[in-house]
Amino acid sequence: MSLSAKDLKELYRIILLIRRFEETAFEMALQGAYDNYHGGMGQEANPAGVCYGLRQTDRTMITHRGLGVLIARGVSVKDIFAGLYAKEESPTRGRIPVYHMAEPNLGVLGGTSMVGSVIPLAVGSALATRLEGKDDVTVSFFGDGAVNRGDFHEGVNLASVRKLPIVFFCENNFYAKSVPLAESTAGGSIVARAESYGIPGECIDGNDVIAVHETVQTAIARARAGEGPTLIECETYRWTPHSTAGDREFARTEEELVQWKAKCPVLRLEKQLLKEGHMTEELLHTVDEAIKKEVTEAVSFAEGAPYAAADVAFENVYV
Amino acid sequence: MTIMTYAQALNGAHSIAMKDDPLVFAIGQDIGSYGGYYGVTAGLLETFGKERVLDTPISEIAITGASVGAAVVGTRPILEIGFVDFVGTCWDQIFNQAAKFCYMSGGQARVPMVIRMACGAGLAYGVHHSQSLEAWFTHIPGLKVVMPSTPIDAKGLLLSAIEDDNPVIFLEHKFLYNQQGEVPDGPYRIPIGKAHIARKGKDVTIVAWSRAVHWALATAEELANDGIDCEVVDLRTLSPLDEATVAHSVEKTGRVVVCHEACLTGGFGAEIVARVTEKFFDSLEAPPVRVAAPDIPVPSSRPLENEYLRPERRLSDAVRNLNAVSHRRI
Repeated sequence: MSLSAKDLKELYRIILLIRRFEETAFEMALQGAYDNYHGGMGQEANPAGVCYGLRQTDRTMITHRGLGVLIARGVSVKDIFAGLYAKEESPTRGRIPVYHMAEPNLGVLGGTSMVGSVIPLAVGSALATRLEGKDDVTVSFFGDGAVNRGDFHEGVNLASVRKLPIVFFCENNFYAKSVPLAESTAGGSIVARAESYGIPGECIDGNDVIAVHETVQTAIARARAGEGPTLIECETYRWTPHSTAGDREFARTEEELVQWKAKCPVLRLEKQLLKEGHMTEELLHTVDEAIKKEVTEAVSFAEGAPYAAADVAFENVYV
Repeated sequence: MTIMTYAQALNGAHSIAMKDDPLVFAIGQDIGSYGGYYGVTAGLLETFGKERVLDTPISEIAITGASVGAAVVGTRPILEIGFVDFVGTCWDQIFNQAAKFCYMSGGQARVPMVIRMACGAGLAYGVHHSQSLEAWFTHIPGLKVVMPSTPIDAKGLLLSAIEDDNPVIFLEHKFLYNQQGEVPDGPYRIPIGKAHIARKGKDVTIVAWSRAVHWALATAEELANDGIDCEVVDLRTLSPLDEATVAHSVEKTGRVVVCHEACLTGGFGAEIVARVTEKFFDSLEAPPVRVAAPDIPVPSSRPLENEYLRPERRLSDAVRNLNAVSHRRI
């Protein structure tokens, strides 16, 4: 299931779109356009690599650092910026943080604010798939901070004993907000926990979008075939603070950031595309210009869009 | 009609719903061959198999979250949490996830699930198996809260709860599981959000739910001998509250006592009294009264537990005293 030149070009467009989105979303938060942003810059290979090749009926949930997943599943940056600005035009209608945005028609079930609480929800989605007799797969995104929650342990255990069609995808960026992995996670390894739950585990370079894609595709094939869950640990790094809301950096150092920036997931794919002759500098530039225009237009749209009328706050409390 | 227990009536509702709709499934600890803590799911495993009657690990977070996730994508889970006292272990999945998904998704996602939990004291089960925590759930917009008092209501309300597209908290009183009553054999629904006049009367309104309805009815019989005619309103559903039925009764009697097994402070009785006072003050001939358990954990020994259950014994005097008061248009 290796990626064709066409696939690689599309993957590049997606990862670059996520990068340009992240840059702008972070910058606009710093400018005070909205209260806060939990940036995912540096981790773009994860949403892009995981979601590329998913069926529309496969399901994912997002995390508080998960807006790249929305983009990779086909939600427009216009809708997402409208969500960040909390305007009515967004699927959130401005009533909830954008990190909870749901687009069920695109396979996005939503997200939550409690780290890891999406894991049992994703397990339930996988449970339902089997009850419905379908072979769709659910991918549960979470960060390294989630693996010490009961939600993780209970969810992975339940999925394993019932051999559910789910992929547990951990974006390990080595810090749960300010606390380093070594100080929070016993045993020192996330992927090692797979063995204790009797499921396969893979630890991969999370800045290599092709490796991410291929590893996830293998896990998805297992899940579709009824062979149960897989735990994938993806090592990566966020380039920005936990959030823009005045978060201080304690353990993270400038040296560490420089080292990780040298492993930029976007540049890495770009270099490969050039080297293999799939793209030219000129073509890369054209793609980038189109993406920048899309992002700029999305911001203008969101800025100009109206807030929802007061009565919207009262809708959908019950069906 | 068949004479059956509250537990059997609930079992019948499961069978009907699961036969009708292949997307309805039961999930919980020991609900399979064991049949649930109180036998409510007895025999379902044999009829519907392991894929639809899921015996789970002791993982309340996972099974509650998984039920929410499964409901969001279109199935209809009936989750059993053996005791409402255990709800703290999975509370996040209920009040942050189940209750808010519809709102968060702008109505695109629904959470058609039922969470069945046993509540209440009377069996000397102690502090972690005897509480009445219904007020917690009523405080959360997005949840419906149902508390049947009889076998016939248990079946009809559970069928409505399973078919409801919202998350429904279904609280069953453990003291009532063996109570018998006539129950229609086939499917029928009792609407959620509608209270029931369990006894008509003109002097004093007693508002109650779950087991306290039986205390109210016994009290009403006792006081009828003394010429006090009580009307008993069985709320059946706490959220959404059938304010109209309560108001109609209070307008008629001018006197209201709310009786519940939960502790007094922050109990749902406070909400009823507040609403009646705010909106129907002019109908009142006397100040509303709450008869509730004392603010203590539920103790274990029979005599001590009996102290907790004092509303049963105090209701009669409370109604009698209230009936003697008249402050009309004070």
